[in-house]
Amino acid sequence: MTHPDQSVSSSARKRVVVSGMGIVSSIGLDQDTVWQNLIAGKTGIDTLSSIDTSECKVKIGAEVPEGVVEEQLKLLRRRPVDRTLDQSIVAARDALTQAGLYDSEAELENQDISVVFGTGAGVDHSLYNAFKLFEEKGPKGARPTTVPRCMHNAISAALSLQFKLTGTNYMVVSACTSASNAMGMAFRMIRDGYVDTVLTGGADAFFNPFYFGIWNNIPALSKIEDPLKACRPFGVDREGTVLGEGAGVLIFESYEKATARGAPILGEILGYGESSDAKHITSPDVDGQVKAMRMALNDSGINPGDLSFINSHGTATKGNDSCESQSIRTVLGNGVDQVPVSANKSYFGHSLGASGALESIASLLSLKHGLVPGNLNLENPDPVCNVNLIGANPVSIKPGPVMKNSFGFGGGNGVLILGPHN
Amino acid sequence: MSDTSKEDELIANLRIIIEGCATDPIDLSNFSTTTKVQEIGLDSLTILDMFYDIEQETGISIEQEELVDFRTVGDITTLLINKGA
Repeated sequence: MTHPDQSVSSSARKRVVVSGMGIVSSIGLDQDTVWQNLIAGKTGIDTLSSIDTSECKVKIGAEVPEGVVEEQLKLLRRRPVDRTLDQSIVAARDALTQAGLYDSEAELENQDISVVFGTGAGVDHSLYNAFKLFEEKGPKGARPTTVPRCMHNAISAALSLQFKLTGTNYMVVSACTSASNAMGMAFRMIRDGYVDTVLTGGADAFFNPFYFGIWNNIPALSKIEDPLKACRPFGVDREGTVLGEGAGVLIFESYEKATARGAPILGEILGYGESSDAKHITSPDVDGQVKAMRMALNDSGINPGDLSFINSHGTATKGNDSCESQSIRTVLGNGVDQVPVSANKSYFGHSLGASGALESIASLLSLKHGLVPGNLNLENPDPVCNVNLIGANPVSIKPGPVMKNSFGFGGGNGVLILGPHN
Repeated sequence: MSDTSKEDELIANLRIIIEGCATDPIDLSNFSTTTKVQEIGLDSLTILDMFYDIEQETGISIEQEELVDFRTVGDITTLLINKGA
């Protein structure tokens, strides 16, 4: 139900919980498999097989295994249309199912659920195919359905159509911050009383010759050829990030609604902060990151020292990891040594617009299990990254609030404070 | 070639094209000239894509105003025969 009163007082703010999660990634298509691989230190990064990389400088990435999404689509009586969109559909099905909002055996009825979803590149396989046809045949070569196939909101529209979700549907597009920005918006919409339930998260699947090709010429990708060693967040020997694909979907719901219908409560969203660097389109900035982190902490009402751990943006680029470390030190002050810092991109790869969602799901799984995955490949921490980095092995934590950082090209910063359900 | 065999050939080609361009799987087990378009779930976007594929394959040109409401598959094959497909 919508509540158009815009003067919602803080006392009227609603608690926002997570009642369902769905994941499509290189290390698994379900929460248990993903968690087992995270704890076992198994990366999804491998030699790319879905595209020809013979002319690319980089030949590795974290791909979703061929055919597994297509198999799931068959169960939904859908054909593959676009890799990003398809992965989103499968992850959404699983999240809605866990939340008790979808039953494959029952007839679908409209549900007042909004879709606020993130992506960096959007439906880039559809765009790539459309550009190829246009280049080859001119305007007459353009499929009449090119516009609805290629618009960025093709993904949120497909989610709404597939599952009959009649709240609003739109995309948030802010590069690597997309999913965290989308989740932040979803959180605010529920907390401030506008809606009760939002399907949120993000997806990106960009292993096609064009999109992967153009990424090759950005000096941000690791040149290390060994897939197992290529992504080394916060290591002194890090050489850059490794791209990955995937979709992460979370169902955000008001605590009242979730408990009233007996939904599982997997965690809580405690706060959100965002900012823009306004400094440089690709270089990160301490001031902007600090502003977003402090805003998120203030929003949640917790002290930095109360954090059980930080799930960093941790791209394994020289620029990000040193900047993020400095930002964390600034925000945590003297308490910086008490809060462990983890990074997930050595497992999932950098899935751009999906990363905030995949890593938020990993964070909530950590709170469930009281364990944080090790920082894979962190054998030689960079002295410049002077924060309390978790080593290569998992560490136990007392479940408490987690700060999830996401920072993107364009200067956008989005920070979520996630909590265990109490 | 008689109109009937031409129609049979078109039906066979249409089936392949529709299977290729439909987003959702469509049951085409009883696909004939009398099949109602609505019954097999051909929505307006799938029909647009279908005619695009036919144009690309056959070289014929179909104008926007010719894409009227097709009731049966036969209505589609009639248009295609008239266009020289």
